[in-house]
Amino acid sequence: MPNHLYHLTADEVASGIKNRDFSAQEYISQILERIEKVDVKINAFIAVDKQGAVEKACSIDKRIRDGDRTGGLSGVAVGIKDNICTKDLKTTCASKMLEGFIPPYDATVIKKLKESDAIIVGKLNLDEFAMGSTTEFSRYGPTRNPWNINYVAGGSSGGSAASVAALECAISLGSDTGGSVRCPASFCSVVGLKPTYGCVSRSGLISYSNSLEQIGSVGKTVSDVVMIMNAIAGTDENDQTTKTTRPIATATTPNTVSLDRIPKYGLHQNKRNIRVGLVKELVEGADPAVSKCIYSAVDLFEGSDCNCEDTSMKSIQYALASYYTIAMAEASSNLARYDNIRYGFDSSPEGYEWNTYFAKVRNNFGEEAKRRIIIGSYVLSAGYYGKYYLKAQKAREMIKQEIKSLFEKYDVLIAPTMPILPFKLGEKINDPLKMYQIDIDTVVANLAGVPAISIPVGFSNCLPVGLQIMANEMEEQTLFDVASTFERIVDIHRSPEI
Amino acid sequence: MISKDEIRHLGWLSRLELTDSELDRYASQIDEIIRYFDKLDTISLTGSEPARSIKKVSELRNDNIHVFEGDPLEFSKNRKDGFVKGPRMV
Repeated sequence: MPNHLYHLTADEVASGIKNRDFSAQEYISQILERIEKVDVKINAFIAVDKQGAVEKACSIDKRIRDGDRTGGLSGVAVGIKDNICTKDLKTTCASKMLEGFIPPYDATVIKKLKESDAIIVGKLNLDEFAMGSTTEFSRYGPTRNPWNINYVAGGSSGGSAASVAALECAISLGSDTGGSVRCPASFCSVVGLKPTYGCVSRSGLISYSNSLEQIGSVGKTVSDVVMIMNAIAGTDENDQTTKTTRPIATATTPNTVSLDRIPKYGLHQNKRNIRVGLVKELVEGADPAVSKCIYSAVDLFEGSDCNCEDTSMKSIQYALASYYTIAMAEASSNLARYDNIRYGFDSSPEGYEWNTYFAKVRNNFGEEAKRRIIIGSYVLSAGYYGKYYLKAQKAREMIKQEIKSLFEKYDVLIAPTMPILPFKLGEKINDPLKMYQIDIDTVVANLAGVPAISIPVGFSNCLPVGLQIMANEMEEQTLFDVASTFERIVDIHRSPEI
Repeated sequence: MISKDEIRHLGWLSRLELTDSELDRYASQIDEIIRYFDKLDTISLTGSEPARSIKKVSELRNDNIHVFEGDPLEFSKNRKDGFVKGPRMV
């Protein structure tokens, strides 16, 4: 049995447990010890479900001993962003407004992970209601970057990326509304995927901005992310925005979930003659330390029979304003439902008039959530709807059309994931516009609904740099092929010392 | 320029009881953010259509009742006789 099982990738864990090289219980006890040891420094977890994880590990071991079949993620430790509902396990959105909320149902992705025999080890930290780019807007304190704990981990899925980078779990789920999986993946030097809009069910994801967000996945390698997608992608009658991805889910029972599924996505690391467009506005707009890393990776890639050329995206000038207008408008509507009556912190409504009570308790939303609710109300108000919201939707359509025409010419578009290196905790927290502007490279994929992945491509001043690859709608396989080719060529995987 | 009064009004519409210091802070921050959004106003209202969902109503699932197992209000603190207590209406 290897000494440090928590170093293993999802594939290595699942095959090691199935082949009885080690047991799920041995693996999970090492994971829980690792969390205990390093999470005091990282703060990636809001809650750890030790009992549930050990019980699931025991049950997997028993089934393997009995010769029963187990799922594709057998025994793999997975962390879940705490805005995804988990039955009987509190789900907080890192907000006081959800205090005491224990979901009575599992999100569709959780059901699917459980059917694949993944082990849910706990719930991961995030910016309140997934609104932020650093995980500093969490009621439970900021998640720290495992590469330097004085720096931000990125956000809003900071816990999802930091926990994988710190080897506290093999894989994790996050949600990505404007880069919330890719940003922390880049800052923590792990792989993070935002799938095509509609590729993964959002049922059970607590809504922030419905038309933009998708549940995404984080792993140490592209292979990890492929394994997660094979478990969670697909249509769902509880999310009417899901689309058919591939025709057959299993050999014997089409379009249903089965333990004996055929892998739907694969890995082809030696793709040749890929047509790559480098989005020059995003590379030129980045910190020179970041663009230097990106150019070095592109040089390596060009040396392996791939055609890379500069391309331009003119509509990008409207992307950030369009994204934030739409996201905040949808946020203000979605957060209107929180009244602290059915769940929430202890504050009796006795003696209060309706509106006064709501205004009082709703002031317990955090700083950033309140800012977005107010701006969302502003851009949707009668006098400004045409000036902001309607124009933002027009800009969104322009971006969609331009992306569509670019994918007639290129298989993938590449750019930095983040325009800057990870920065110190607290550095931008009092300047919201500056904070929003770091999302410029990631929001395009959400506005257009296309898939995008961040993979590690290097370090500058010991801080990670991520490369973003975007593909056309439903072209996740192309994305995985190119990402794994890049991953093989660049080959920079290493773990932080914590 | 967005005033403190406008922020207070937006806060009320959103049922947020903002403190004086929040009003001061949000007024200046939100003014800066909205001025950034003003670049959208350079887009012509004629020309391209706004983005919208392309799903047809006929593609939606049937609106059938599913019985929910368990008690979704199990953890509510303010319950009486099977109901959830809220603030008075007037």
